[in-house]
Amino acid sequence: MKTLLGAAALLLALTPAARAAEFSWAGTTDPQTMDPHAVNSAPVLGFLNNVYEGLVRRGRDMAIEPALATSWEPIGAGEGWRFHLRRGVTFHDGSEFDADDVVFSYRRASDEAADVRSWFAPVSGVAKVDDFTVDIMTSAPNPIFPDSIANWMMMDSGWAEANGASLPDKENGNFATLNANGTGPFRITAREPGLRTELRPHRGWWGVARHNIDRAEFTPIQNPATAVAALLSGEVDMINPVPIQDAARLESAPGVEVVRGIEARVIMLGFGHEADTLKYGADAGRPNPFRDARVRMAVAKAVNVPAILRQIMRGSAEPASQLVSPAMRGHSPSLAARPQIDPDAAKALLAEAGYPDGFSFGLMCPNNRYLNDESVCQAMVSMLARVGLEARLHAMPVSNYWPELRADNYDMYLLGWSPGTFDAEHPIRFLAATPNSEKRLGSWNFGGYSNARVDALLPRIQSELDDNVRQAMLDEVAGILIDETAYVPLYVQPLVWGVRSNVSLTQRPDNFFILRWVTVDEG
Amino acid sequence: MLAYIIRRAAQSVLVLLVVGLVAFSMFRFVGDPIDNMLGQERTDADIEQLRATLGLDDPFPVQYWNFLTDAARGDLGISFRQGRPVAEIIAERAPATLELAAVSGLMALLFGIALGVFTAIRRDGFVANAIMTVSLVGVSLPTFLIGILLIYLFSVTLGWLPSFGRGEVVRLGGWSTGFLTSSGLKALILPSITLGLYQLTLIMRLVRSEMLEVLRQDYIRFARARGLRDRAVYFRHALKNTLVPVITIAGLQLGSIIAFAIITETVFQWPGVGLLFINAIQFVDIPVMAAYLMLISVMFVGINLVVDLLYFAIDPRLRADRGDIRR
Repeated sequence: MKTLLGAAALLLALTPAARAAEFSWAGTTDPQTMDPHAVNSAPVLGFLNNVYEGLVRRGRDMAIEPALATSWEPIGAGEGWRFHLRRGVTFHDGSEFDADDVVFSYRRASDEAADVRSWFAPVSGVAKVDDFTVDIMTSAPNPIFPDSIANWMMMDSGWAEANGASLPDKENGNFATLNANGTGPFRITAREPGLRTELRPHRGWWGVARHNIDRAEFTPIQNPATAVAALLSGEVDMINPVPIQDAARLESAPGVEVVRGIEARVIMLGFGHEADTLKYGADAGRPNPFRDARVRMAVAKAVNVPAILRQIMRGSAEPASQLVSPAMRGHSPSLAARPQIDPDAAKALLAEAGYPDGFSFGLMCPNNRYLNDESVCQAMVSMLARVGLEARLHAMPVSNYWPELRADNYDMYLLGWSPGTFDAEHPIRFLAATPNSEKRLGSWNFGGYSNARVDALLPRIQSELDDNVRQAMLDEVAGILIDETAYVPLYVQPLVWGVRSNVSLTQRPDNFFILRWVTVDEG
Repeated sequence: MLAYIIRRAAQSVLVLLVVGLVAFSMFRFVGDPIDNMLGQERTDADIEQLRATLGLDDPFPVQYWNFLTDAARGDLGISFRQGRPVAEIIAERAPATLELAAVSGLMALLFGIALGVFTAIRRDGFVANAIMTVSLVGVSLPTFLIGILLIYLFSVTLGWLPSFGRGEVVRLGGWSTGFLTSSGLKALILPSITLGLYQLTLIMRLVRSEMLEVLRQDYIRFARARGLRDRAVYFRHALKNTLVPVITIAGLQLGSIIAFAIITETVFQWPGVGLLFINAIQFVDIPVMAAYLMLISVMFVGINLVVDLLYFAIDPRLRADRGDIRR
């Protein structure tokens, strides 16, 4: 009997091992923690999506699909959502997943100590109905709630409590900072922060594994040239990102391919809407012309986005007309056209606003946050000069940049926004709503843009259950923002990954790298 | 003697304190760690709260004082980025840097002396001139460029050596070593060349000029007149006398090899303290930056102190000035 079992086990082990492969990849940022609730940042959440799972997850096309919940439906007239949990799911350590873990993960992720607690601002309570049913109550009807929790990952209550990690601890760290125990398709078998992280398949995963990875290793490589060399020499199978200037060279190299796509991040120009005076340039101290919508419109008409995309982004990026890219839910297709590039019209608008000779002001720009950010700003300086706007460029590292913006030290600035919920409501809440600390609104609306109609529509968008009505309101807001040129959306940032030719994978617009979609052809 | 040592030690401590003060006054220009620590959905209240928790609102002398009092108790703080004790992180990363520095220092010393002697003896020879010309490259090309060139030649084109990382390491207690595996040894080659090339050239040129100087001395002529063989003249008599300044310089250079490993480590993704420091700057991880800068300055000050004391021990004239010789 024992031999028979042994033979069966051997057979089981051999079947997938026939084409099992090792896979290694490199990125610029090491996920700073393995705790899915401690930090709300894309490198952490993207990485942990391979290890932990939520009730729902996003598919290859970003659509929400069942994960640890098999189905869900609204309760009553929008009092909340009921989730039916998947049965027979086990964590990496073998313990069972059930409703208690969901309740525990809610308490853990919505605690003061958790960075992701803002996801649960609309939630009034979470109740276990039975072992495999959970009710999540919301204080107002919330149509996009399932969308907003795709990155809320489930942790085993027993494991967390036994290891003293019942709450996340970002400042001092705890057991969950270095160790992980999720339900996802991969488990972490070695973790050396900043050096390497090793993953192996979770044999007890509930889903059907379509990958053929036996062992995967992630190495952070900060220097882009080193990463490109590592890919070319075959030491790593995939790098993210490829520096745009190296993409063409990689494409022509044998054995290597470049995978391009567009990210969820829209790059835009922002203005000081509230500032009384200009702060930089020769006209510092004079009244702030950017309070006038015509001046902002002139900027929109002066910046030649197609030229920027051609020259600086080498054709990798797409132009943007709104605060969200077309891949996001709630994007308004009827407003997809950017303003016409027209320097003469821009000059006419400036003259009409009382600045026939233009003026001088300060443009703030990060130099290590977005792809080629400083080059883009330099190009815009010369484009603006053609209509008489003399922009003084102040480029700085991102850790100096945000404090300057928070202190209102700018006349115009560059900003990128990637909506965490992949929905058009997100940038309205953060960038267009009148800043209000108590209601957690407009927290990135540095310039203080304010429009009563937008503020009135936002709560209705948030609670509208009818998709068509909701879209009409989103269209209206997008229209207002375009008419008033609250921001000048420029382009959607490109995604450029480098991959060995024998690897097939899926690139998702949120720049998450999903290991279970990778197959390595060893032949 | 004792008074001299005490005075030099006191000066060293003062230098350390000033370095720390300068470092802490610079940190606020590096930026603000808050935005890296909080996600997109932070509010102004979150920012205020975290600033207060981390003590970032305190004036920098207060922050410095807190760092010093904690450091005196052996507590270097908690990394903002990793949420782990800084001392633990540095102890984890130090072996990588020290092994790299040792290998490249040793390489620079051996090859530097050998080539220096060779170019001095054959100073009009074609090969010696070629070496001297090529050595200009070592001095004039920036480290990162040499590193990238080596990577493209030996990793990408030839595929002989790894382009990044340390290979497999073996843990011996708290120390991780790359000396015991073939991939670890292979991984050491390119970074050590990159890091040691400048020192190699420096030592080579120093040995050469010292050697040329010594070979003109009378005792060398006498040695030749006695009919000693070339090898004995060059290596027993000439080389020995060139080594005193060479050892001094090499000792001082060891400090800079460790400190300037930053660039090499970045190019090769070498997981040492230099790379840690670069990452800390990007993230504005103040505890890590502070600890690294203080450790490096302790090292430099320590090496200088030892060198000064050695001079004192070796050179009787220094003692004569102090009047000790009267005894």
